[in-house]
Amino acid sequence: MSDTETASADEAEISASLTRYLHDKLKVEVAPDDDLFATGLANSMFAMELVVHLEQTFGVMIEGQDLKLDNFRSARSMAGLVTRLRS
Amino acid sequence: MSTGVTEETGERALIAGLVGDRPGVWDLAGEIPTAVLRELGRQGLLCAQVPERYTGRGYTSERNGELTAYVGSLCSSLRSVMTSQGMAAWTVQRLADAGQRQAYLPLLTGGKLAAVAFSETEAGSDLSAIGTRITEGGDEVVVDGAKVWVTGASYADLVLVVGRCTDGAGVVVVPADAPGVRIEKVADPLGCRAAGHASVRLDSVRLPSSALLGGGGQPLPLLVTTALAYGRMSVAWGCVGILRACLDAVTEHARTRYQSGRPLAEHQLVVRHLAELLVAEQSATRVSEHASRCWDGGAPDQVTATVLAKYLSSVHAVRGAASAVQVLASAGATDGHVVARAYRDAKLMEIIEGSSEICQLILGQHALSR
Ligand SMILES: Cc1cc2nc3c(=O)[nH]c(=O)nc-3n(C[C@H](O)[C@H](O)[C@H](O)COP(=O)(O)OP(=O)(O)OC[C@H]3O[C@@H](n4cnc5c(N)ncnc54)[C@H](O)[C@@H]3O)c2cc1C
Repeated sequence: MSDTETASADEAEISASLTRYLHDKLKVEVAPDDDLFATGLANSMFAMELVVHLEQTFGVMIEGQDLKLDNFRSARSMAGLVTRLRS
Repeated sequence: MSTGVTEETGERALIAGLVGDRPGVWDLAGEIPTAVLRELGRQGLLCAQVPERYTGRGYTSERNGELTAYVGSLCSSLRSVMTSQGMAAWTVQRLADAGQRQAYLPLLTGGKLAAVAFSETEAGSDLSAIGTRITEGGDEVVVDGAKVWVTGASYADLVLVVGRCTDGAGVVVVPADAPGVRIEKVADPLGCRAAGHASVRLDSVRLPSSALLGGGGQPLPLLVTTALAYGRMSVAWGCVGILRACLDAVTEHARTRYQSGRPLAEHQLVVRHLAELLVAEQSATRVSEHASRCWDGGAPDQVTATVLAKYLSSVHAVRGAASAVQVLASAGATDGHVVARAYRDAKLMEIIEGSSEICQLILGQHALSR
């Protein structure tokens, strides 16, 4: 991904890309605000896969305080995290 | 990689020098001299993947894997301590904030020893049942709970304790000498006898809130999987080491021991054991290498690759060690002997960091979800 593309990929786009990824992986429709942990959609293996996916796809490092539950609850919250880490 | 053969030979010579021919004695005594562990720790060899900026060796997973296999071929107890130390360092790297990384990682490469405590009497395979509480209040945290079978805890200066926070879970770095901590060694473990397994009781242990990695509140499943990922990688390579030690012992014995006028190596039924051991050692090496390369390349499927490597390597190690004892027969049938240790040590590798059944569940799910 080039710098300009990276800069223009706003939060909504990231969220959309993440719901597609989640749909692809979980084989169910996932809305941007669905709570992955509360609904049991995400197991522990998948949680870590998500971290690696976010890091690789969006070129961020997710460590320490950013590994909070709130950051991973939904596609939208993950998009928020990525946007924040990139700025 | 710029790290040449020389450095590799150097670190192996150093380890060989510290370990010598004593793993058998350590096994019988149920203890490794702390001086040996501290020296390996100071050399950064117990957690060699710690980045250089934290005074670590900055090894890749693959390079650390080969190192782990080497240590595992000498002594699975020592390798277990290494697994715990590496898992502790990895957990700090992943969960800690910048200040905590700066505070703890140089300790872990500077001779301090660490263990990681997940399991409780009611929370073994099912870690969602963890009951240990981390209560946050003002500038301190209070830890209450009881952990069991914590590898390396009897040697540890620091125990990383996994517990529940108000929201989600957390890992607290507990000094072993903090008031309210009681560490009690497991008597007579089946294998890895000198790995310092112990139970850890925590009664109202008060620590500054800086001891709670990343401020806590991480999802328990994520936290557990993160830490275990390193442990699984390390166990996979450790089992490669067990298989290498067995292969060496068995080929040497088959060449030199004569029965019915021929070396054992000329009895076909014995040769089959050799062939199977070679296949086991090679298969375990290849899957572990693959998982390490996924890890080093940041591939999301590293998570599954790691479980697959741990599963296959430990299952092969159990089978391989059993056939090694078979071929050595009475020559390998005393405690402390390399194949006798392998036989007992390997079995435990099928239980820890996700038992074979738990690995099968994960891998089965993966097969279904493709
Ligand atoms: C040598 C050794 C070192 C250890 N080191 C550490 C350490 O450093 N830190 C730490 O926190 N813990 C450690 N442990 C504890 C270890 O993690 C647990 O023993 C392990 O998770 C299994 O839990 P359990 O013993 O309670 O067995 P259980 O969970 O009671 O399992 C018993 C049997 O049932 C099977 N089983 C359980 N649940 C399921 C299921 N859902 N589906 C199918 N089969 C199932 C298991 O595979 C096993 O065969 C260590 C244990 C050993 C033996």
